[in-house]
Amino acid sequence: MLQISPVEIKRQRKLVIIWSITFMVVFPLLIILGLLMRLNQGEDINLGADTFYTLMTLHGLGMAGLLFTFSFAGLWYLVGTRQAKLNISVGYFVYTLVLIGVIGLAIATLIGKFGPGWYMLYPLPFIGVNWPAWSTGLAIVSLIIMGVAWLSGIIHLVSAMSKEFGGFSNLMGWQYLRKRKEGERDLPPIVMITTISLVPGLCAFLIGAAMLFMYLMQLLEPALHFNPLLMKNMVMFFGHTLVNITLYCCVGWVYALLPEYTGREWKTDKVLVYSWNATFIFILFAYFHHLYMDFAQPSAFQYIGQIVSYSSAIPATAITMFGVISQIYHSKIKWGVIPVCFLIGVAGWAIGGFSAVVDSTIAVNSVLHNTLWVPAHFHTYMLGGVVLFILGLIFYLSHTKEEQEKDKTAKFGFWLFVISIHCFIGMFYSGGLNSIPRRYADYKGIPIVSVHHTGALLAEIAALFIILLLIGLFIMYFAIIIKLSKQKNASLIKSV
Amino acid sequence: MILFINFLTIQTSAAIISFIAGAIVVLVVIYLFYSSSPAEDKVSAKHKVYKMRARYFFALVFCVIAGLIITLGFLPYPQFQSRPDETVSVVGMQWAWKFAPGISDKTPLQMEGGSEITLPSNKLIKFLVTSSDVNHDFAIYNTNGVLVAQTQAMPDYQNALEYKFPEPGDYHILCLEYCGIAHAIMVGTIHVK
Ligand code: HEM
Ligand SMILES: [Cu+2]
Repeated sequence: MLQISPVEIKRQRKLVIIWSITFMVVFPLLIILGLLMRLNQGEDINLGADTFYTLMTLHGLGMAGLLFTFSFAGLWYLVGTRQAKLNISVGYFVYTLVLIGVIGLAIATLIGKFGPGWYMLYPLPFIGVNWPAWSTGLAIVSLIIMGVAWLSGIIHLVSAMSKEFGGFSNLMGWQYLRKRKEGERDLPPIVMITTISLVPGLCAFLIGAAMLFMYLMQLLEPALHFNPLLMKNMVMFFGHTLVNITLYCCVGWVYALLPEYTGREWKTDKVLVYSWNATFIFILFAYFHHLYMDFAQPSAFQYIGQIVSYSSAIPATAITMFGVISQIYHSKIKWGVIPVCFLIGVAGWAIGGFSAVVDSTIAVNSVLHNTLWVPAHFHTYMLGGVVLFILGLIFYLSHTKEEQEKDKTAKFGFWLFVISIHCFIGMFYSGGLNSIPRRYADYKGIPIVSVHHTGALLAEIAALFIILLLIGLFIMYFAIIIKLSKQKNASLIKSV
Repeated sequence: MILFINFLTIQTSAAIISFIAGAIVVLVVIYLFYSSSPAEDKVSAKHKVYKMRARYFFALVFCVIAGLIITLGFLPYPQFQSRPDETVSVVGMQWAWKFAPGISDKTPLQMEGGSEITLPSNKLIKFLVTSSDVNHDFAIYNTNGVLVAQTQAMPDYQNALEYKFPEPGDYHILCLEYCGIAHAIMVGTIHVK
């Protein structure tokens, strides 16, 4: 049986706390970019379209990158302190490179005015743009640096687990599908879920890297010309997979941590293995739903997109969500802030997932594609799901089991945050249903008066809720920082 | 289904169905908050939940299959529709739309056309949509400001969108793919007579 020394655990804990503090600083800054965008769309401030798109690009890339990295860092911590020995210097290597990448991106956008949106859809960054070539170059190089960081982190994590559990096929849970050997070690769900999330992640980063190198070549040699449909497939595969696995990585923590509060084990069995292996396929093929409105895409892909998107609801709800229910039902759980984060996060995932399935219906996508419905659904499971899981993990680091049950401040901040985020997102949904386009710096140029006015009004209301959710967030921060600094003092005394 | 669409726009149907789903999730969460308190041993609680899960699983599989069969019958792709009465060539460019009647034999860059065109109502119109620079998206808004159909305008590719304007009036075209700084003011008009 694996032994992880207390010294090692302490080191890993320090790393994850550094990650947490970084998250707590960067996250509200990126929210403020969102607030500025909504205020601009509400015609309360006037940023100018170039600044708007710069902020939109930094917000999109920044949030997706921040959440993915933190979900990876959370897994790293939970695996590294419980399941397998991880090399801490790889952890710091990832941290440093990601930080360099983020600084590069911030310079490229805020100073260099780089603004093609997170997906920089080919050939947009090269034609008719209002920013200099150096900022495109810097942004691409920064993204490559972050890609290198994540690739090396993922490879280290998966290979360390594979060594510990006797091979890759055991990580996928395939030993459960045959007769198991006497005394064979149980596979913790978090290990299987980590593998099933990170291996598609590996594919996504490789495709993403290939794409970025094509961009770099294009930048150096303007006469080059790539196929725009191929490039769109590549960027959507990359982006969809990244966001999708961010969520699944966090779901991995829920499997690992919720049992500590319900007192019920959550073990791997055949059903879990089948359902997560199916999810593996779904992660890889669902991205086709981003190209429904490209009628030139082969229609087989369009069908696959819808069938896979619909099917992915089956393991997600029947296995994971019912798993959460069977954890909680009649368990006499005490509703401290940590299990509440997890439960409400799963609920946010369910709602965001459902509205994603609605939009992954080709007939519906015809009228919702690239309206505000799209940011609505992914903000639901990113903000209403992933961010709540992250806050749950940070509370797990700062609060003991008893403290999190009693902490009224944390709970108040949490509910203010949750209610405000859903109201903020509700304005996105309402915008989508009212045919308001996404990625519009403002709605003044829309010749249809009702669309223009509805869009601006919803943006203003949303801005109010953003301010409320920031207040809720800072109240939670307050609760976290008090507990963290107490721990720090306590450990200082001990070490003296 | 057709009848259904006449009363409800797709947007309204999506709103209703998503609202119901959201409400179910909220109710389940509230139920879980209240049902957690009586202690029950793990085995018997699990047994109850799993019985429920089996029923849920079959209901869900049924819904997924039924949903796929119903909705995959309504695809926007031209091969599923009938012969068009008129054809219009459409080019998106930074940052305007160009419309020209008929099938254009020019390159997208060379094609000449204005950002307004007049078309008949109740006739099946086929739009041949492409771009002369970056990606755009040709989206038709009806006289009530409701988005009714769209297709991407991708350079090097031509997407055929078929649409029948049900009533006369001014329909507006917005660009729904971010295409640079003036993306939000890239509009066109179709006068339907
Ligand atoms: C309270 C927090 C947040 C606020 C106020 C906010 C606000 C916004 C706004 C106003 C937009 C532009 C919508 C449009 O008109 O197209 C946007 C886009 C976006 N947001 Fe957020 N957001 C928040 C959290 C997040 C989170 C947690 C993520 C995590 C992935 C995220 C990722 C994105 C992405 C990827 C885009 C699209 C950018 C693009 O189109 O290139 N946001 N957000
Ligand atoms: Cu455009």
